[in-house]
Amino acid sequence: MARVKEDFAVVGKNWTRLDGADKVSGRSIFADDVRLPGMLYAKVVRSPHAYARILSIDTSAAEALAGVKAVITPEDAADIWIGISQPLLPTELVTHVGQDIVAIAAISEQVAAQAAALVKIEYQVLDPILDVEKALGDDAPQLHKKAEHNVGWKQEELHGDPDAVFAECDVIREDTYITNPSHNCYAEYHVCVADFTQPGKLKMWTPTQTAHLFQQSLAAGFKLPVSDVRLLTLNSGGGFTGRTSTRPHHFLSALLSRKAARPVRLRAAGDEEFIMCRAGGRVIYKLRSGASKDGKLKVIEADLLFDTGAFIESQMIVTLLTSKYIHALYPIEASRYRGRLVHTNNIPYYFHHGGGIAQFQFALGQHVDGLARDMGMDPVEFNLLNAVEEGHTTMEGAHYASCGLKECIEKTAALAGWKDKYGKLPKFKGIGIGIGAMASGAKGLYKHDTSAAMIKVTEDGKASLFIGLPDMGQSSHTTMAIIAAEVLGIEPTDIRVVSGDTDSDPLDIGAFTQRGTFNTGNATKNAATDARDQLAKIAAEMLEVDVSVLVFRNHSVYPEGEEDKAVPLKKVVYNTLHSREGRFVMGRGFYNSPLERGTMAYSFGAQIAEVTVDPGTGVVTVDKMTASHDVGRAINPRVVEGQIDGQIFSGMSQVLYEETIMEDGQVMNPSRLDYKMPRAFEMPEVEHIIVESIDPGGPFGAKEVGEGPIVCTMQAIANAVTNAIGNQVTEMPLSPWRVIKAIK
Amino acid sequence: MAKQLITLTVNGDAYEVAVASNQTLLEVLRDTINMTGTKRGCTAGSCGVCTVNGETGEAILSCLALAVEWDGRSLTTVEGVEEGNQLHPVQQAFLEYGAVQCGFCTPGLIMSAKALLDVNTSPSEVDINEAMAGAICRCTGHIKVKKAIREAAKVLREREGGLNETNSGEASHGTS
Repeated sequence: MARVKEDFAVVGKNWTRLDGADKVSGRSIFADDVRLPGMLYAKVVRSPHAYARILSIDTSAAEALAGVKAVITPEDAADIWIGISQPLLPTELVTHVGQDIVAIAAISEQVAAQAAALVKIEYQVLDPILDVEKALGDDAPQLHKKAEHNVGWKQEELHGDPDAVFAECDVIREDTYITNPSHNCYAEYHVCVADFTQPGKLKMWTPTQTAHLFQQSLAAGFKLPVSDVRLLTLNSGGGFTGRTSTRPHHFLSALLSRKAARPVRLRAAGDEEFIMCRAGGRVIYKLRSGASKDGKLKVIEADLLFDTGAFIESQMIVTLLTSKYIHALYPIEASRYRGRLVHTNNIPYYFHHGGGIAQFQFALGQHVDGLARDMGMDPVEFNLLNAVEEGHTTMEGAHYASCGLKECIEKTAALAGWKDKYGKLPKFKGIGIGIGAMASGAKGLYKHDTSAAMIKVTEDGKASLFIGLPDMGQSSHTTMAIIAAEVLGIEPTDIRVVSGDTDSDPLDIGAFTQRGTFNTGNATKNAATDARDQLAKIAAEMLEVDVSVLVFRNHSVYPEGEEDKAVPLKKVVYNTLHSREGRFVMGRGFYNSPLERGTMAYSFGAQIAEVTVDPGTGVVTVDKMTASHDVGRAINPRVVEGQIDGQIFSGMSQVLYEETIMEDGQVMNPSRLDYKMPRAFEMPEVEHIIVESIDPGGPFGAKEVGEGPIVCTMQAIANAVTNAIGNQVTEMPLSPWRVIKAIK
Repeated sequence: MAKQLITLTVNGDAYEVAVASNQTLLEVLRDTINMTGTKRGCTAGSCGVCTVNGETGEAILSCLALAVEWDGRSLTTVEGVEEGNQLHPVQQAFLEYGAVQCGFCTPGLIMSAKALLDVNTSPSEVDINEAMAGAICRCTGHIKVKKAIREAAKVLREREGGLNETNSGEASHGTS
């Protein structure tokens, strides 16, 4: 693939986000800011037990309280299921702490809370299963009918003949790693405003990464035609892989609204947020790999055991994804993967930022680093020797049409000064590398991976772009405006991005699996090109040239090389509309991966962490991060940097700080004070390197930057800690006490 | 619970509101006065998204401040930071240097930063870290936030006429 530096007018320059002025001045509206006439406030009564039989529920005192307008009990929700195994409200058994049992709507949050305290529920407490290994045991009770030994989902993948390849290997290494439960910690707490007052028509305001899938799920739950569920997505205060599916509060607020015939807001209180959130659970990773004595990695085996908690809804995604990344980075000869989701009486666990892939890479990256050290190889040399390249096809058939991985490793190592530091640092100072790959989209999780876009060009030479991709902060709406502006020869600020209402948004399955820039970007480019083609026909007539020579730039249209003949774009639009045909210019475009499964583009990255470990306390300080990411093309470079920064923060936070400490199924640290994340003063210096491999399928060559960086961060920091103390800390987070144990 | 009538001045406008003794400033701002620019976060003083500025410009966690204690006093919220129709240099710098992502914590970050820059236009790294220590921002990793604060400080210093520094040249191509 030729790497031609194209002469773009707007792509590749730093653009401020189009919604930025509203966000810095307090004008941006989030779901918690929605105020509807007659709105009520909800409170949920939750199980204090991890496993118990419900003997009785008495809501009479709550219902009698002045100001209470609706009470929903399990009887009212008998036919509503979330996913396939989770009743919205339990009729017989509660299977995790915090499980929703009764929901109340009242005239204020205070009255709703008072009423909730008046609900009397009698339980027969049962012995819970809180540990995945115990859940697998023969004497463990089976929590779900179809889940033998509590295995709710199992995935196995085999490529080549691992046993034969292991037999040929000169070096074999085995490791076990653990990652602990965590919480997405979005700035905006879980919140939902439902208006189900008009019979059969549900309106909902809630933060989401996918209005489309929420719409589908709510329609299925309430047995409504899809178009009678209207999702109104305003701003979303972060997603981080945690807002990809509906949760009980979405259904409960709707049920309460229907019953009370008034809009209802349900918002998580401080500690409730940690129960409603449902991020990652405890995962055990058993890894084994082999290499030849010349340092070539030949085979990898992974056996992953996920604590999935009480219910499975969409968590099988985590095995679908991690199974693909076992052989994504190295052209190995064989691999074996097994992933099992195991039920326990813990809170249902979904995923944290990085979607299970970044956490898997914490394990795989440390394991491979160990293998390199076993062979006396420098990890950078090892990764350069083994890394995949452009044109590679993985054993599963993923094809890398563009790949800047080796360039990322080389540039990062050079900028970080790896050669002068690795093996030469004083005791308790360390340096480590992590590398990663990330798909731009993931067709196969759903049958299609479609994004659609529409664009209307107005007489003033500006445009409105209609898309269904939520912007949770990643600046995707501005990115789409840049793409459309480049095609139409106007500026991103000339484009109004219209999005956030399923009544008018073109279909887009959402902002997850890093599909926005690639899929919605291509849809947007196609829509803008369609509009441009309509304009070009008229412009060609006006200029008396063939359409093929036309250039759209600087708000004008001209034959290539003859800018002096330029006609203003708005004159072309005017002539198109004010003609006998009266054509109004509207472009439409869509994109869906042409593959049966998977995506056309993968991005790559490398990060080098430098750390200091305090041998007395075990505290790890990250001194510096050098990060490169192959984004194909950086549509908006400062936003790319911002994505890298945020993911370094989140990766550092997860690998060093974040853990929802569980005891008897309870979260012991359910607050922003006790659930630790780095503050401003703890953040290291970050150096960015943007590598542009220019993907042939991407819009202007672009690929994802949504989760690619974070898959490198945790392993890089962990490897730096190993380099500093001489031993691996195999359990995440690398809390001081775990680091101290590893030093000794 | 008997309510008390208080007069609260928000962004220069006096509001007479009846408040219960356990009502917070955040609740009054958002639910009584209907100014939703100040966001509701942890409501326990640990995330910083509800930060407003008090009478002397100091950073206040409105989720922990009892409204009754603010009778007769005045405060500034994010809605009152703009100067006429122009963004304040702190807001402009947040925008230009990419310090805004999801935007939920942004009002709190802006008010924390403004509380610092109102009294110190030459903040050291330590000054910035201390001023922002109460804030959690999951999206930006604080990196571009700190950059924006440094750049806003430059603009404010220039405005004071104290220093004649030029812009670092990193300003964004687009306009707000």
